[in-house]
Amino acid sequence: MASSTVVSNQSIIARLFGRLARIRYLPTSLSVGAIILAVYFLTALTSSFWVPYEYSQVGIGPPFSQPSLEHLFGTDQLGRDVFSRVVNGTDKELFLALTSTLIALTGGGLLGLLSGLVGGWFDEILMRMFDALISIPLLIFALLVMAAAGPDLSGNLVLLMAVVAIVYMPRIARMARATALDLLTRDFVTVARTRGESIWSIVWRELAPNASGVLLVEFGVRAGYAPILIGSLGFLGFGARPPIPEWGLMVSENRAAIVSAPAAVLAPALALAGLVIGLNLFTDGLARVLGRQVQRGGI
Amino acid sequence: MVSRLILSRIVTALITLLAVSVFIFWASEVLPGDIAARVLGRFATEEGKQVFRERLHLDKPVYERYWLWLQGTVHGDFGVSLVNQRQVWDVIAPKLRNTLLLGCYAFVLYVPISVLLATLSAVFRERWPDTLISFFTLLGLSAPEFVLGTGLLITLGVAIPIFPVMSLIELAKTPFETIRTLTLPAITLAIVMAVYAIRMLRGSLIEVLDSEYVRMATLKGLPRYRVVLWHALPNALVPTLNVTALNLAYLVGGVVVVEQVFAYPGLGSLLVGAIFVRDAPVIEAIALIASGIYILANLFADLMGVLLNPRLRTS
Repeated sequence: MASSTVVSNQSIIARLFGRLARIRYLPTSLSVGAIILAVYFLTALTSSFWVPYEYSQVGIGPPFSQPSLEHLFGTDQLGRDVFSRVVNGTDKELFLALTSTLIALTGGGLLGLLSGLVGGWFDEILMRMFDALISIPLLIFALLVMAAAGPDLSGNLVLLMAVVAIVYMPRIARMARATALDLLTRDFVTVARTRGESIWSIVWRELAPNASGVLLVEFGVRAGYAPILIGSLGFLGFGARPPIPEWGLMVSENRAAIVSAPAAVLAPALALAGLVIGLNLFTDGLARVLGRQVQRGGI
Repeated sequence: MVSRLILSRIVTALITLLAVSVFIFWASEVLPGDIAARVLGRFATEEGKQVFRERLHLDKPVYERYWLWLQGTVHGDFGVSLVNQRQVWDVIAPKLRNTLLLGCYAFVLYVPISVLLATLSAVFRERWPDTLISFFTLLGLSAPEFVLGTGLLITLGVAIPIFPVMSLIELAKTPFETIRTLTLPAITLAIVMAVYAIRMLRGSLIEVLDSEYVRMATLKGLPRYRVVLWHALPNALVPTLNVTALNLAYLVGGVVVVEQVFAYPGLGSLLVGAIFVRDAPVIEAIALIASGIYILANLFADLMGVLLNPRLRTS
């Protein structure tokens, strides 16, 4: 294994901390992103202790009242406190975005690595299938899966997570496969093969740890887009259902009063944009620490 | 060599489109329960349902239905809408025209925005214009289309009412009014596309500005603007063509949300409506057209890469 010293056997976490310890200064994007994300996570974890009203509590004030000290962002159509609803939505938004991306990363990552390693017909068929799925515009793909699931399941949050995961999976698998093909040329895979390791053992113990940097950055990029996707589906009426305080859904609910009470629209919109900015900055910083390029676009 | 490469890319694109059509058909027709019962309602008679099934070939096995649908589609016949019994193409055509109009306008705005901002960013690298522009590209990258659109709506539609809040193109009589109604959604789309292009073009422009021949041009005593505009920019634009084609592909999906924000009667709004009433033939047609454009744009990006790469061109 001497020839494979370039590739460390340390876990990605250990390597990350090793790099962080050696680095002279933190990338600004990493620290700013971390601070923004910390605010969101703290809000999600502690909001139940200090949020003024329940998110579904109606008639707290008159419909679409202006922002005041009592109602920081005013109230919505049913007289619910917009500030409380935005705060209460934080944990749901974070949970939905991160869990669905994690599912997609696990599924897509393993499939991609396996496909690259096994090769042959399995690889060919799987990748042609994934290519076809990638060729459907992301949002239209998500809408199709929603339509296929039928009206009985609409508004189901598990379905929403499944849709995001399904839409992401082929894209992540493609990426993981490319990484696997690159790793396959290295000696340590040949050694493992000669040693007679099983395919799963090679995927799990040789490929996955070495692809973890790429996959971590990929996770960041996808997680950064997940709230946009979830919010867009909510906005279009195919995501979370009322009275869930999902930010995209709130923007579409409160749009009726965009002229008289713009705060009720702006608050959830900015909360969503802020979360994505935090995730994107953090990912950019992380990629810089790991010495990798972030590729966005063509989503 | 090159022609074979191009041919193989085109064939691959066609196979992909075929596979996409299988998926689209499967997703919109096979999975959900009895279409006849859903469309005709609870009080439909058994005979009525039977007639309906026969007319839509629902009594035939799935692969036969797919084959019939595919045959029709290839000949430009997308079938009949389940909701109003009109030809799907007649329903789609005016909306498609509206969406293409919006897309073209967005594209016309996108090119100068990207080139101008990327050039400023690269020329004033690491100074305040660059910082400001990269801050705004990050903002544009992170704001969902509906947030960006709503933001523009609040500022340029409500606070300073220059543009109408709803883009009802049917009401626009003169060309000037048409442009006015289209501007806000077009700007939204243009910004979302431009952020990717600006990042890309800035990078390649900086690379070119650091190259020998640009330094040579500067040493020759050419004015700065001439060096940037005549010597650097044309070469830096080449890698951006790929992003532009990918952006065109993005436009297909992004337009769904943006049309909804501005109540614009285009293909995206039609798709959302069709999914709500579960009008399978309309959903299939729009999804297929969208995927077709998407695949075409990607093929274009691919071919561009082949044609612009001298190593592939000569060997």
